[in-house]
Amino acid sequence: MPGLTSRTLLYLLAGLVLVAWVGLIWGWPRLAGRGAGRIALRATALAVAQATMLSLILVAANRAGNFYSSWSDLLGRYSGGGRLTALHESRARSASAITVLGATAIRVPGRPRDTAVLERVRVHGQISGITMTAHVYLPPGYARGARAGTRYPVVVAISSAAGSRTSPYGSARLAASATREILAGRMRPSILVTLRPGPGTDRGCVNVPGGPQAAAFLTQDLPAAISTSYRVAVRPGGWGLLADASGGYCALATTLTSAAIFGAAALPPAGYQAPPGPPVVPHSPQFARQDNLLWLARHDPPQPVSVLFTGTTRAAAPFLALARAPMRAASTPLATGPWPLAHVLDWLGRALGPGQARA
Amino acid sequence: MGLTSGLFGWLTIIAAVGFGALTVWLWPRLARQRPTRIAARAGLVIGGQALVLIAVVTLLNDSFGFFGSWSELLGSGTVRQVWTAGAGTAASPARLVTITGSSIGTTYLGGSALHLSGGQLATGPGASALTARAGAGKGAGANSPARSGAVLRITVHGQYSGISEYDEYVYLPPQYFQPAYARARFPVVLALTGYPNDTINLMHLLHLPAIAARLTGAGQIRPAVYLMLNPSVALPRDTECTNIPAGPQVATFFGRDVPLAIEHAFRVQSARSGWSVIGYSTGAYCAAKLAMLYPDQFAAAVGMSGYYTAARDRTTGNLYGSSVAYRNENNLDWRLRHLPAPPVSVLVASSASGEKNLPGTLAFLHLIHPPMRGFSLILRHGGHNYFTWRRELPQALRWLSHLLTPALPGSAG
Repeated sequence: MPGLTSRTLLYLLAGLVLVAWVGLIWGWPRLAGRGAGRIALRATALAVAQATMLSLILVAANRAGNFYSSWSDLLGRYSGGGRLTALHESRARSASAITVLGATAIRVPGRPRDTAVLERVRVHGQISGITMTAHVYLPPGYARGARAGTRYPVVVAISSAAGSRTSPYGSARLAASATREILAGRMRPSILVTLRPGPGTDRGCVNVPGGPQAAAFLTQDLPAAISTSYRVAVRPGGWGLLADASGGYCALATTLTSAAIFGAAALPPAGYQAPPGPPVVPHSPQFARQDNLLWLARHDPPQPVSVLFTGTTRAAAPFLALARAPMRAASTPLATGPWPLAHVLDWLGRALGPGQARA
Repeated sequence: MGLTSGLFGWLTIIAAVGFGALTVWLWPRLARQRPTRIAARAGLVIGGQALVLIAVVTLLNDSFGFFGSWSELLGSGTVRQVWTAGAGTAASPARLVTITGSSIGTTYLGGSALHLSGGQLATGPGASALTARAGAGKGAGANSPARSGAVLRITVHGQYSGISEYDEYVYLPPQYFQPAYARARFPVVLALTGYPNDTINLMHLLHLPAIAARLTGAGQIRPAVYLMLNPSVALPRDTECTNIPAGPQVATFFGRDVPLAIEHAFRVQSARSGWSVIGYSTGAYCAAKLAMLYPDQFAAAVGMSGYYTAARDRTTGNLYGSSVAYRNENNLDWRLRHLPAPPVSVLVASSASGEKNLPGTLAFLHLIHPPMRGFSLILRHGGHNYFTWRRELPQALRWLSHLLTPALPGSAG
């Protein structure tokens, strides 16, 4: 008996089909007479012709799809499992995700127990392979809350001025502003992470196909690393983003595509129809649309996030018009004076708290 | 008239037989040896053959569940519904999963044996409500979920991707309904079918819950929740669990939306050590890919008769935004060569004789390096069919059981 997947069977069936069909069509007149016997013969000849063709088709299809490798396979005659082997027995020691490079205390005059800490860390992304330095701000009371196991929401501030001492988006002034707001009771105690938009050239922290997986770093590596080393509140969408113009695209893109992690963002209004730098994938209309945040806001399902545009309502109008429930969007100008981001930090604290965010 | 309905099936058979009868009856009229008559004879035989083929293919579809409906076969290949939470309200987590039917045992039989519907789910502190309601009136008799487990037919809504999947299934083991486990959280095995498939094949043809129940009863594996989903969210398109640029974000649906929805609706673990994926054929590719893309969500994956490169053919369409680089990122072999290996464990299964995918499987396996761990299960014989996968399941499920955090009786989670 030729094998189910053998060429022999295929040729055999093809031969049978040829004989049956030619014989049927050519020999037609011989079966044309009256009588039950003739009719039965006709039906039989027709059935044989069609059965052989059907068999040929099914055998050919089985060969193409490799469904049943043999007659035994077809009849379910194989039984039992196989050999299960491990390729590697040793587990690699994974490098620590967070290395603390230094720490500064932020003392408040007259309130020695409410000292905040600003750490400078190196974050090693195990999924993206990207390593970046960042600042981690731990709010007043963080150390005291250790015994109670108090957990904190996280705000990630993205700016090319992350290391600046003078920019309001730099780690130093953000730390001072957050401390002031938290101690005044206007802002919920939160952990702040300040970093640049990405390694090397700013591409809006998207995953560049074939290039740096910056989105994977921001949405997978950074949360994993921070959550392992610090007491982070666990809640879908429980992380926030704060950005200036240099980090604005990154913040909005991340909120719109990773709402499972980042549920609130504060950034300046702008067009955001393309990421900074050259097109992520040239000559691709699909990527052009995917990276056009206005297009995303218009065509994707509305995400359960809150977005605060730090600018005028008119400048923010295109996105404000597109925001549909459960997405909330609003605008507010930056404050004048020495604390331009104070009310923005307050808003983020509210947006990341339990319950409804009020934009 | 449904594609898989008995009515349609009989219609195709009647048409084929009827045409055959017609051919037999018309026979004498075509008996003269003239070119037109001969051509007509050929036409009748070919026409009849086509109808026979349609009847047979319909029968095969009924048996093997390739396409469960006309829209799955002939549809536009877009997601079935973009679900929005509704104006003015944040999505209520409970509504991410809707129960549309239930059966006691290891396969779905239609109906609602547990009398659950809509949003009647147990979450959080009320977790025992599902136990109580399911057990009410049935006691611990032979036909109760606490003895035989239960299969729920569900609809899953993706909060972030907007993708919804209808007529999917979840098997809750007997322990889920037992008082000793009333506050325990169970590990999850997310099972994915091949393409094109009806999700019910995971029960009718793969016998996944039945095999799991047998192994659990014999003490060989620990009880788990088996979530049974179709990787093709937009049939007849083969979306290959891909985040399609400017298109459906299918990877996000399985990697983020589904775990979120299931964690809200059932007493399951939320850490990655409690989540795994298993699949055959396209489901195998999806399982490995989801674990590799979302190692923060899945600890382990099993791929049976799979492929580990990025597919592209008539059924997938343009999945990668015309970008070779993006296609590479969806090629698991390429990822192992160019990106850091994720900290997950993957078991790949194939056959030494009978499977075309053996070389590809071994190539993928040998690219795996720490911190990713690779395992192989090679049968001596076996083709691309359910007999093969049923034989691979016991070892695969035992392997998963060792890796996943178990549900602890008498615990709070």
